[in-house]
Amino acid sequence: MSTIAVSTILRRLIVAVAAPALVLWGTLASAHHSAAQFDFGQRITVEGTVKEFNVTNPHTEAIVTVKDAKGTRDWRFEGHSASHFYRAGYTRDMVNAGDKIAILIAPRKDGGDGGFIQAFTVNGKTVGFGNLSPESGKPLDSATTSNATGSGAPKN
Amino acid sequence: MPSTLSAVIKAMSLAAAVAACVAVSAAEPAHPDFTGLWTGHREAGQGRASGFGGPQAGLPLTEEGKQRIADYNKLLGPERANPAAYCVDYGVPTVMELPGGYPIEFIQKPEQLTIIYEVENETRRIYIGDRQLPTQKRLPSRDGYSEGHWEGDTLVVKTTDLLDGQDQGGHPHSDKATVVERFSLTKDDKGTKLISYEASITDPVYYTAPVKIARKYEPLADGFIIPYRCPDEFWYSLLELRRDQVKEGKPGNARMSDVYKAREALE
Repeated sequence: MSTIAVSTILRRLIVAVAAPALVLWGTLASAHHSAAQFDFGQRITVEGTVKEFNVTNPHTEAIVTVKDAKGTRDWRFEGHSASHFYRAGYTRDMVNAGDKIAILIAPRKDGGDGGFIQAFTVNGKTVGFGNLSPESGKPLDSATTSNATGSGAPKN
Repeated sequence: MPSTLSAVIKAMSLAAAVAACVAVSAAEPAHPDFTGLWTGHREAGQGRASGFGGPQAGLPLTEEGKQRIADYNKLLGPERANPAAYCVDYGVPTVMELPGGYPIEFIQKPEQLTIIYEVENETRRIYIGDRQLPTQKRLPSRDGYSEGHWEGDTLVVKTTDLLDGQDQGGHPHSDKATVVERFSLTKDDKGTKLISYEASITDPVYYTAPVKIARKYEPLADGFIIPYRCPDEFWYSLLELRRDQVKEGKPGNARMSDVYKAREALE
């Protein structure tokens, strides 16, 4: 299974580099995942530099360049819909390529790079999301307090 | 003289207008008005309702219903695919469960109640009264054809002509399903106006007995629907192919079949 394909990024890649983009075409069908692949019982914070930050429906997707013991590479993150982002306090152009960002994520169940965005801080501003599974709509655990359209930042 | 005549005409017009108003109000008893923006209402101790996830527990499924759900579940893959993640409308009745917790807009006129869910701008039109589309012109869709009538202060809506809804989260159904909904106004214990919503799904293919749904909606505090644009991968892929053609000095005439071919070449 490939990692999450990012439609808008994919389109840019198709324009920029035709041949490598074609390799990505095979992932089109799996472009929008449900959230079953993330472990919402866990929270970790990842810091890095924003490469792409696409607040879109049905899910937001972000690519962040992360440096850690394993080296430097791009992580893909998935997040709530654009509607949820705006209701949670996100504003247009809040996040731009090159910004330093700290993202609180529910990590991937398979331990791979990436995760589902629970909150993020950029340029001194924090946006946090309700603690509801985007798949089941049910509360995930008691780590956060908010409803689906709320703006409560996670406590941890 | 002219001024007197004018005054008489004015008086007559006024009388006619008043008479017309009286006639209208006598013929049309005031019905509840559901117009406004609404969001899910949670009562104390009640979990958040959702149309996501698998079918709710305890459904009175027929053997055929069980089999269809089992067959459908084989298609979901490890990521538990759902139609909304592919920019597809939820459909009736799932949309009325407000999956994902988005707001919903009601616009009411005497002859039509229009319901718009934020996600996908999914729109239902409920035709009230005698003006109805002939049955043979009702194109099946995920939201079906909805015909409404008033029973006192309750709007009763019957929805038929649904497409197969085996992919609807909480309440999968076949294309033989009929959904009867009841909308009325009520209040919570603080006096806030609420819509009380009840639905009953009858489906000879999936269910041995009617399946009930009950929800309440409360006014949306911040009062805006956010535009919901859901990208269509194939449309944008087609545009990119045509942009590339134009860049190369060719006519931009790639077709969807070219998009599919490019994908197949990789598989």
